[in-house]
Amino acid sequence: MAGQAGLCGFAARAIGLNLGLVDVISAATGPRASGSFSFAIITDSHLFSAPDHKFDKSLADAVNQINSLPNQPDFLVYTGDIAQNGTEDQLVKGQKILSNLKIPVKFIPGEHDWYLDMGKAWRGLFGKETWSFDHQGVHFIGLNSILVKDFWTGSGLTPRQRMSVMEMLESPIAGPWGIQSEQLEFLRRDTAGLAPDTPVVVFTHSPLWDYYPRWNFQTSDAPQIREILAKFEHVMSFHGHVHQTIYNRIGNLSSAGALSTSWPWPYPPVPLDFPGSQMNRADPANSKDGMGTQLISLTLDGAFAGKVEYEPFADSLTPFLKAGLKV
Amino acid sequence: MNKQGSKSVARVGLAVLSGGLLLAVSCWARAPFSDEQLADQNEELLSLVDLGRDLWHGSKPSMSSNGLACGNCHPDAAAANPQTWPKWASQLNHVGPMREMINWCIVHPQAGEALDPEGRDMVAMEAYATYLYRGARLEPGLASRQTPPVAVKSGVGYPKTPSGLGVDK
Repeated sequence: MAGQAGLCGFAARAIGLNLGLVDVISAATGPRASGSFSFAIITDSHLFSAPDHKFDKSLADAVNQINSLPNQPDFLVYTGDIAQNGTEDQLVKGQKILSNLKIPVKFIPGEHDWYLDMGKAWRGLFGKETWSFDHQGVHFIGLNSILVKDFWTGSGLTPRQRMSVMEMLESPIAGPWGIQSEQLEFLRRDTAGLAPDTPVVVFTHSPLWDYYPRWNFQTSDAPQIREILAKFEHVMSFHGHVHQTIYNRIGNLSSAGALSTSWPWPYPPVPLDFPGSQMNRADPANSKDGMGTQLISLTLDGAFAGKVEYEPFADSLTPFLKAGLKV
Repeated sequence: MNKQGSKSVARVGLAVLSGGLLLAVSCWARAPFSDEQLADQNEELLSLVDLGRDLWHGSKPSMSSNGLACGNCHPDAAAANPQTWPKWASQLNHVGPMREMINWCIVHPQAGEALDPEGRDMVAMEAYATYLYRGARLEPGLASRQTPPVAVKSGVGYPKTPSGLGVDK
C-alpha cells in the first residue's frame, strides 16, 4: 500500500499538483491494522529569497537524507516555516526542493509562512492548513497552531511590518498563539466518532504544552486540545518551531520536537521533566550541527508505540538520543 | 630596640599615615552623583542597550549578507553567555573577549562585515547581552558547557523605548 501511495504521490507531483495527497494516503487506509510503518518529518527550513542561500542547500540535504533511507517512509509531514519572510518566492523555492522527495508530503504552516499575506500564498501552494487522514489504522491530524489575535489593524501596520513582528522569536508584541475556536471545533468533530483505542497522531508547528511561552514554545489552547483528545489511550504529538530535540508527556499525550534544517535554538531556561531529550550544544563553527531530519516508526501490535530516530547532519546526539526516542 | 620593637613602631607609623591619607582623600573627593545625574547615566546605558537590541536583530545591513541576525540563533541573547568571557573559543583559537566572538559570528554565520571593536555599536552589542544577564554569576573561562539563558518573563527584559505601535507590554 505504501508503495502505491508513493507512486501516486510522485505522479501527482509530476503533473505539478499537490492536491490529492490526502486522497492518496486515504486510499491506503483500512481497518486498524497490526504491524508497523514509518513516516518522516522535515521542518523549519527558513528559506530566504537570495539565490543559492546556504539554507537552500540544507533543505536539499534533508531531502537527500530522506531519499537515501533504505526503507522509504510512507509519507512525510512538513511542520512549518518553509519561508523566513513569508514571501511567495520563498514558499515556491521550498516546494520545488521538497518535490524531489519520493514520498507524499503533507504540510502545516509556521508563523514565518503566514503573516505576510495571512496564508494566501501558502494555501495556494499547499492547500488547506487543517486536515486529517487515516493511514494503516492510525488517525493523523494537522492543525495550524500559530494564530494570534489581531495586533496589526488597530496599529495600522503594513503586511511587511506585521511579518517583521512575527519573525522575531522573542517579540513581546504578538503574544501567545494557538489554533483558536474554529480548529478546536474541527478537532471535536473530527475525533467524535473515533473509538478510544484509535491510535492518534497530531502535527502542529508549536508544542502542545507550555514549554517556554516567551518564545511561543507553546500553543495557548493546548489544554483544550488535550481535553478533546483525552479519551484516546495514546496520542502522539509532533511539532517544529523549537529547532531542537525535546520530549514531554502530559497524561495520554506524548510530544516530540523536531530538528530544523536552518539553525538550532538554545534550550530555554526552564526545568524539564525529560532533560535527557536534549541534544548536545551545537558548535557554531559547524554550520550543520544541531540540524537534521527525523524518522518516526509506529508500532500497532499491542499498545500503540512510536520511536523517533533523529537524523542529524552532524554529530549532535547524545548516546541516549542515538538509541531513538520512545514516544 | 630589638627587631620586634622596630616592626611595631613601623606598623603604628603606617597605620597613622594610612588613616591620614584616608581622611585627606575623603575630604578632597567630590560629592556623590545626584539622583538626576545617576538617572542620566542609566538612561545613557539603556539607550545603548536599546541600540544593541536593534543591532542584535538586524538593524545594520552591513552586519549580514545572508539575512541572518544574531537573534536568529540567540533569542534573548541565549547562549551568548556574556558572564563567561573572556574564555577559550575554538573559533578564535585563543582566549578572547566576547567582542571577538561577536565579530566571528558576524563574519562567518552571517557573512557580514565585522564591527569596529572599539566602536559604539560594539559597546551597544555587549551592553544588550550583558544587561540581559545582569545578576548572573561571573564564570570566566566556562567554555565546555552551555549555561542556561536568562529567564525573561515579559516584555523585552528591560525598559525599552516604546515602539510607537501601542502594543508593547
